[in-house]
Amino acid sequence: MHSNTISVGYGKVNPVKIGNTEPLAFIGGPCAIESKEHAFKVASMIQEICKKHSIPWIYKSCFDKDCRSSPDSYHGLGLDGLDILKQIRDEFGCPVVSDFSNPAWAKPVGEVCDMVQVPAYLCRQTTILKGAAETGRPIHLKKGQFMSPWNMKNSVRKIEAYGNKQILLTDRGTFFGYNMLINDYRNFPIMMETKYPVCFDATHSVQLPTSMGNISGGQREFIPTLTRAAAGAGIHALFMEVHDDPDNAMSDANTQLDVKYLENILVQAKTMHEIRIDLFNKYGADNVK
Amino acid sequence: MLSDINSIKITEAMFSTEKFPVISSTTLIKETIESMTKFNIGVACIVEDSNLLGIFTDGDLRRLLLSHQKPFPAIFADDVSTYMTKAPCVIQKDASILDAITLINEKKIWDLPVLDSNKLVGLVNLHTLVTYINSQ
Repeated sequence: MHSNTISVGYGKVNPVKIGNTEPLAFIGGPCAIESKEHAFKVASMIQEICKKHSIPWIYKSCFDKDCRSSPDSYHGLGLDGLDILKQIRDEFGCPVVSDFSNPAWAKPVGEVCDMVQVPAYLCRQTTILKGAAETGRPIHLKKGQFMSPWNMKNSVRKIEAYGNKQILLTDRGTFFGYNMLINDYRNFPIMMETKYPVCFDATHSVQLPTSMGNISGGQREFIPTLTRAAAGAGIHALFMEVHDDPDNAMSDANTQLDVKYLENILVQAKTMHEIRIDLFNKYGADNVK
Repeated sequence: MLSDINSIKITEAMFSTEKFPVISSTTLIKETIESMTKFNIGVACIVEDSNLLGIFTDGDLRRLLLSHQKPFPAIFADDVSTYMTKAPCVIQKDASILDAITLINEKKIWDLPVLDSNKLVGLVNLHTLVTYINSQ
């Protein structure tokens, strides 16, 4: 199925095109901005891998973690973290993305970030979607774990109604009973009916939401399998939270991918993506009625 | 008079556009069905800038339910343009009532959008025609 292409990146960064037959884009970085030093360290490690394999990438990290299970969990640096993201894009020349959970933060996020992210839990909140749309930046819209893929069209239409037509739709798993997510790969072609490109969030998909009392668990061992399957299914971008020491990460310790595995997984995903495009070129895109 | 149906124009007997569903191509199937139910009629006309794009009828709904295995919430969330009949039988506003009756009979259909060129100006169906004839 054909999708529109969106372009992420303003000013002096290397813009990343996502959609249709563009190379598979990677969106990744630590779940939360822990410190400037840590942000730069991980960005440097990702950049080296992406540069080596010519993978277009967008740095992702959050300045505020508002959906933690416990009030004692790390909440983030707040809006001050945006300055670190600004320095990342200046230093590495890559676009950056961050999410926001308060409509009042949309403007400052949009002033710094090349792409603004709508958290999955808030994917149908009109004021959040309006705020994201009005930044004028491309929007990374995550499908809520509770949402059907066809109902994401309502969120897309809200964003369009507020004047923004640069959207990336992401699947991060769907609730399967309590404390468990499952991936339904039908979500990709269904969400592509909106004509916008689609993305797979591999690390949140293996999350076991709040399965450990007051924090979420996760099964990182399934990241490679799910990623290969998603790339074959026709995604345009791959999202993964990456950390140099995930077990001691300040958030999402059970799902972030150790950067030592990143190259292997990215190369597999990139290869699967290219094979899928080759197959479509040779035999035509999916057209079964 | 019944003998005049060959000369009386269908604009005399048709519903004007506020009497039946006239909707956009992005109207959801759920909204479309609601609108048809509200007007108590088995057809909705899909337009863009008053130009007729297609129609969605009770028959389209029956065929849709038999030919698709999607769950109802997914069908409800689809745009009406996905399932509408894109080249429906239509009649121009200068046609006579007899022309409309003949066309409806020949094509075995219930509803005929009335156009001025491609602009939707009304609708005739069996009910409107029977009501008109009965009133004469």
